[in-house]
Amino acid sequence: MTLIVAGPTGASEHDGGEFHPEQPARIFSVMNGIRALDLEDEVVHVTAPEAELSDLSRVHSSAYLKELEAFCGRGGGDIDPDTYARSDTWSAARRAAGAGLAAIGALEQRGEGIAFMPVRPPGHHALPDRAMGFCFLNNVAVAAASLTARGERVLIVDWDVHHGNGTQAIFWDDPDVLYVSTHQYPLFPGTGRADEVGGPKANGLNVNVPLPAGATGDVVRGALDQVARPTIEEFAPDWVLVSCGFDAHLADPLSELALSSGDFAELARVVNEFVPRPGRLALFLEGGYNPAALETSVTATLGALLGIAVDPVAPTYGGPGMAGLRATEAHRRRAIEEPDAADLRMDA
Amino acid sequence: MVPPFCIVVGFDGSPDAQAALAWAARMSREMGARIRIVHAVGLLEHAGLGDRATVHRETALEIAALAGAEPANVEWSMVDGDPCSALLRMTTAPELADLLVVGSRGSDFHEGSLLGSTSLELAEHSPVPVTIVPAGYRSDRP
Repeated sequence: MTLIVAGPTGASEHDGGEFHPEQPARIFSVMNGIRALDLEDEVVHVTAPEAELSDLSRVHSSAYLKELEAFCGRGGGDIDPDTYARSDTWSAARRAAGAGLAAIGALEQRGEGIAFMPVRPPGHHALPDRAMGFCFLNNVAVAAASLTARGERVLIVDWDVHHGNGTQAIFWDDPDVLYVSTHQYPLFPGTGRADEVGGPKANGLNVNVPLPAGATGDVVRGALDQVARPTIEEFAPDWVLVSCGFDAHLADPLSELALSSGDFAELARVVNEFVPRPGRLALFLEGGYNPAALETSVTATLGALLGIAVDPVAPTYGGPGMAGLRATEAHRRRAIEEPDAADLRMDA
Repeated sequence: MVPPFCIVVGFDGSPDAQAALAWAARMSREMGARIRIVHAVGLLEHAGLGDRATVHRETALEIAALAGAEPANVEWSMVDGDPCSALLRMTTAPELADLLVVGSRGSDFHEGSLLGSTSLELAEHSPVPVTIVPAGYRSDRP
């Protein structure tokens, strides 16, 4: 099976300094993780072009895009306590968004394989008209919107430790996108409750599984299997995109879930079961801020998908949260049955 | 029994947030309202890399006291999240804020634009009234 690597982007751009955990060195860890797979002819590298404004405008307002470009053009600055922009951030963010579009084209051309986007800045917190949480352009959403624009149905699985509030907001009322997120809660950005189930036209197509600090890999897999799987199978996606953050790792400094690199391999296997046919799976780097954990988790994830034995650290079991999955599902069901309240919950 | 009027104030330590808190504390004094001061904890602060919540707490409680709010009516809380979602969450049960109060510009970051305006986003999405207090407001003005 072919691994299409679209990018990398952000390996030397959009640099906030060593103090900031979302830094260019992350890409070196990720690329080391790919190299550890020892692939030869099975890997195809694709250059990431800057996404066109017409592609970005499917998910971001034109006013926001103009302002972001102008802000970076003036040299950038701090947008909020977490999020910085530099003069080259606009270009870096457009390339990060463009990588997914290029990868989809490459997958379609080959008719097989999986695609991985080692890109930064990350994207899943970016709202239609607002940058936040290290994110400017919603990379996975730009790719998904390009697919729905031609009638495809898209599943987005987001296993980053933080809830993808931007992706949720963008597709809140879109019946062609099913968004599934597992995340630590409470934690930044503060969204991601189980009763946030989607808008009137997409009631039930937003699946949030909030997890307590300390949750282990078996709980995250349980979330996908017990809570999300029935909705995913009923939805029957044409494409599966993954917001592939590795900050749920035990060693990550920004959060408190307790996954190992082996857990990401297991999650990848579960997600692969949702892929309808070869050449329809693409993974987008989101978070992950411990260099060693990032490297080994990338190796484990891609190795599992490519069928390469990489002997990652064993999966984890026994953390809190498994018993709460049933309550999460019940909470979610009640919210689906009360659709009138859903938009208020989304706002709040 | 009707619960006391609840004012939720966003506080990031900035001069604008201090002005907002001073206004809210004055309203509390005049109405007997409860004030909940909310400090949103971002990605970096959660990891111990960013803000200084302990300092902010002391500053906030001092401002509220100086503006005449009854200490028993003032509560400080830290909420993991983006400032906007943290404040909007306070409008739902169990907190049920009656009024949100924020500074006009937020912290010392990009000024009130589409890139990062909490006040604009709150005004658009809040189900309860939002008061945006201009920088420089003083609670002791005549």
